Amino acid sequence: MVALSALTEVRSMSEESEIKMITTIIRPEKLGDVKKALAEAGAPSLTVTNVSGRGSQPAKKGSWRGEEYTVDLHQKVKIECVIADVPVDDVVDAIREAANTGEPGDGKIFVLPVDDAIQVRTGKTGTEAV
Amino acid sequence: MSVDPAVLVEGINLMWVALVCFLIFFMHAGFAMLEAGQVRSKNVANQLTKNLLTWSVGVIAYFFVGFAIEGLVGAYTGGGSLGIGEAFGIISPADGNDWIGWLFGAVFAMTAATIVSGAVAGRAKLRAYVTYTILLAGVIYPVVVGLTWAGGFLASFGYYDFAGGMIVHGMGGIAGLTAAYVIGPRMGRYAEDGSTNVIPGHSMTFAVLGTLILAFGWYGFNVGTTATVFAVEGGELVLDGYAVVGRVAFATTVGMAAGAIGAAAASLYLSGKVDTLYVANGILAGLVGVTGIADGITWWGTIAVGLICGLQLPLVFEFVSDTLKIDDVCAVFPVHGSAGVIGVLAFPFVAVSGFSVAVLIEQIVFVAVVTVWTVAATAAVFGAFKMMGQARVSPEHEREGLDLSEHGVDTYPEFGKPETAADGGSVRTDGGEVNE
Repeated sequence: MVALSALTEVRSMSEESEIKMITTIIRPEKLGDVKKALAEAGAPSLTVTNVSGRGSQPAKKGSWRGEEYTVDLHQKVKIECVIADVPVDDVVDAIREAANTGEPGDGKIFVLPVDDAIQVRTGKTGTEAV
Repeated sequence: MSVDPAVLVEGINLMWVALVCFLIFFMHAGFAMLEAGQVRSKNVANQLTKNLLTWSVGVIAYFFVGFAIEGLVGAYTGGGSLGIGEAFGIISPADGNDWIGWLFGAVFAMTAATIVSGAVAGRAKLRAYVTYTILLAGVIYPVVVGLTWAGGFLASFGYYDFAGGMIVHGMGGIAGLTAAYVIGPRMGRYAEDGSTNVIPGHSMTFAVLGTLILAFGWYGFNVGTTATVFAVEGGELVLDGYAVVGRVAFATTVGMAAGAIGAAAASLYLSGKVDTLYVANGILAGLVGVTGIADGITWWGTIAVGLICGLQLPLVFEFVSDTLKIDDVCAVFPVHGSAGVIGVLAFPFVAVSGFSVAVLIEQIVFVAVVTVWTVAATAAVFGAFKMMGQARVSPEHEREGLDLSEHGVDTYPEFGKPETAADGGSVRTDGGEVNE
């Protein structure tokens, strides 16, 4: 009995760790392409936020009435995408391909484990909720 | 049917003055947009409120006190005399049409008053600003008009200012600079090492729209100063103020064009780029430059004065902000102050009547008297408020923005922070309690 319950525990752990969050920072003008690529890769659900940040993109000069100032936080879009049944590599490749311009400032992709997921409407948990 | 030329003259002159008053009034829409565009989004409603109250409070102060002060100062410094009852007669004139003349004075007075709000944007306390507006419309500006247009001692001494290049704009710009100096810069404008931090305005679009609305109203301001279309001479109709209407319209048009080109050139020289706001400010500086002298200058003089007023703008703005460390938010001194002074001082060099040393001396004395009075009166008023700790808002309110802290208004509730929730409360992203 002890062994069986341990097995159940392990199965449920492995089910939960199959849920991944892919957080992507991209150029705002690439949002349309990335959305399309995500849908084609089988991961159409996403959350989008306007963000600003600093990475490898060089600083810009802004000016107001002839006075110059430095802009080193660039406008970006953050996409959060939680997936369960789709291969992570496919989604990551799809985003990379759609967001790439070859210039510094194209962004980053982060893959994070998700402990659990719950669908608000149905109360479903785990991979079913995603 | 016999036509009495006197009736015709009166009717047409009244109609012309009323029309130009409406045009000059519309300059307030321009000032409101110009200043709103140049302040941060957290201070827009405050700036708009100041513009609305400048007109509303100022025009009433000018009605009860200002117009009479003009007459009294004019009479007593010009060697004449005027009864108190007569001076205040405008409050209840025998002929209601006298109020057209009063309105004509009022729209000029309110233009002078509204210039100051741009210099003290983003930190002046509303009660200090409104009190200053009452004093400016009731006393400070009327004294300047009394000494000049109303026949005071500068009028006897000699001076030249057609539509108020110095009396209205120079005075307003110098008052703005003085007020900005007394109340100090916005928080964060200057770093601890003394370097200047750029605080960009929130909308170039509004600033340029305001500039063009002002330029449109300016036709009323300048061309409208040819206030009398006709006069009657020996029973015959003759042109009166309209004898110079074409020259004034030309100077107004070409002066603003040259101002924009001058400012664009100076901007290109200083930063390697043609700065949009400098070009917009340059249009206004060119207009200010010709305002005082538009009826008596040559075509090349018009272009020269406009160009110089545009060229000086970026240089004077940088000098004021980086060397004097005065935070003149909307650049009112380079636009109205120094351009107004340059315009009237340039008059003897570009006058149709030719160069005259005597006129140059008169103009220098004129500028000096108006400057000394404006600086002294403005510094006294804002200095008194500063001593009472009432000149500017608290650091907390300044940081939060004057819209929310002083007026409870969020100019752009659907853009950026703070966010307004549909149930009327404010959303705090840290989950904290909503402040009352």
